[in-house]
Amino acid sequence: MSDLSIVTPDSVAQLSDREIRRSIRRRWVTRTSILLGWGAFIGIWYILSDIVFRDPRLPSLHLVLQRAGRIIATPGFGSDLGNSVLRLLGGFLLALVISSVLGLLIAYSDWWRNLLQGFLQLIVSIPTIGYAVLALVLFGISPIGPVLTTMLVSIPYITLNVAQGIAGVDRRLIVMSEAFGRTRKQIARDVLLPSSLLSLLSGARLAFAVAWRMELLSEIFASSQGVGFQIRSSFERYDTQAMLAWTVIFVALMLIFEHLVLRQIDRWASHWRSAEPSATR
Amino acid sequence: MATVLIENLTKVFPPTANQPNQVQALGGLNLSITGNVLVAVLGPSGCGKTTLLNIVAGVEQPTSGSVRSVQDGVPAHISYVFQEPRLLPWRTVVNNMIFVQDRKSDRSRREAEFYLSMVGLGDVADLYPSQLSGGMQQRVNIARAFLVNPDILLMDEPFSHLDALTGRSLRDYLQKIWSQTRKTALLVTHDVNEAVELADRIIMMRPGGVIFDDIPVNLPRPRHPSNPDLQFLQNDILRRFDSMEAAVRFGVG
Ligand SMILES: Nc1ncnc2c1ncn2[C@@H]1O[C@H](COP(=O)(O)OP(=O)(O)O)[C@@H](O)[C@H]1O
Ligand SMILES: [Mg+2]
Repeated sequence: MSDLSIVTPDSVAQLSDREIRRSIRRRWVTRTSILLGWGAFIGIWYILSDIVFRDPRLPSLHLVLQRAGRIIATPGFGSDLGNSVLRLLGGFLLALVISSVLGLLIAYSDWWRNLLQGFLQLIVSIPTIGYAVLALVLFGISPIGPVLTTMLVSIPYITLNVAQGIAGVDRRLIVMSEAFGRTRKQIARDVLLPSSLLSLLSGARLAFAVAWRMELLSEIFASSQGVGFQIRSSFERYDTQAMLAWTVIFVALMLIFEHLVLRQIDRWASHWRSAEPSATR
Repeated sequence: MATVLIENLTKVFPPTANQPNQVQALGGLNLSITGNVLVAVLGPSGCGKTTLLNIVAGVEQPTSGSVRSVQDGVPAHISYVFQEPRLLPWRTVVNNMIFVQDRKSDRSRREAEFYLSMVGLGDVADLYPSQLSGGMQQRVNIARAFLVNPDILLMDEPFSHLDALTGRSLRDYLQKIWSQTRKTALLVTHDVNEAVELADRIIMMRPGGVIFDDIPVNLPRPRHPSNPDLQFLQNDILRRFDSMEAAVRFGVG
């Protein structure tokens, strides 16, 4: 009735005490070195602001943080931040959709692969400031420029990862789907994309890191609202404290997003891998 | 009634990186199967069995010849039990079943669970394939093929990757579910035991993809491996393979 090849808890290898101790020690070493890195950053900032320059050109870190607190408390803050985040997400989501399609095309056809690979390499090699300036020239002060540039710089990373993921799909699963009469569309949606999802997500992480910097930069050049705009207008008022405060706020938010949200999505997408073996049967 | 009609079927694979010469996988095969029978194609590995099934399933094209599968005059609906489970690892067991259904409805899940329970897997519907043993995954593979209610069922050595005891218990499941549905079935195997236990007719194939013998099996079901009639038949088949080999070796066949 039941199989003999049952996975029992005992068959899972146990770590020895020494291995456990070593892995704990390694974790502490990692944590301390991260803290040291942060400490060094703060230390260098204080040396520069309080010893080298000692003037408003470079305010002390605690003044910047206090200013950041005051900025966050102002009523207009939400709309500036919201604007930036919406544009960023808009551009990024557009990139996700377009890249999934382009990735499929690359995986399916040599013609598309040759065409797109050269094109995408070109996109990546142009410095982001080039896009920011071009967007200003083409679209003037409007949300279109930031959204499009954010989308454009994200596309290569996601596309190439999707294509790579699809190329690595188990051919036998595709034959299975065909044998059961699944259509090309169903196979793309239910087999190719899910099995390249993890690869897509790691592309999305790379792309996001580029995307939010691009978004900020193009707002600095071509926007009348948003965090980038606030950075530019603080700069024009020679208010470095506000400029740095806005930067700190946005960078902190993006880092938190990258590390918490994107990592959670990764974990969710791979939950079927870490599912516990059933011990009951 | 379902019919599979295979005429002069050949398949030649072009040379590949690990095999410098072209390979004749099927060498002019003729075969006709009709009615609610389970037919075994028996032959050593590499003789073209999987290629044959793939062509019948339509996932591979023949070099020449034809395959027609019809059910009451229209193209037959075919399903396939693979050598390995071939489950989508990111879908739960029941969602793997639902994946192959044409019309998704409220009943889909219940139908899927019904066939799962036929192979004794009623209570693992919501687990992921990685949480099942190899034998359980293979039972899902079998249940999935029956779920789509095919006119013709193809099976490619479904027990060959399992240990002998698990394989035997799965054969019992297959006998049971097949006896209840009586689908026209083509089972490919290199295992004489398996062929005599499951088949109504045994077709013997030799390397190069050529059929050299074809015998009926008229034994009552359920059949138990220890049945002396099975033993007798098995020996007979082994003798036929021996004389075929001798004939090929001495250039007579
Ligand atoms: N896609 C392929 N490309 C090249 N040769 C193949 C391919 N598939 C099968 N063959 C060859 O065809 C012959 C028959 O293979 P197969 O049908 O898998 O045999 P079996 O299932 O009986 O073991 C073998 O020699 C095999 O190497
Ligand atoms: Mg095979």
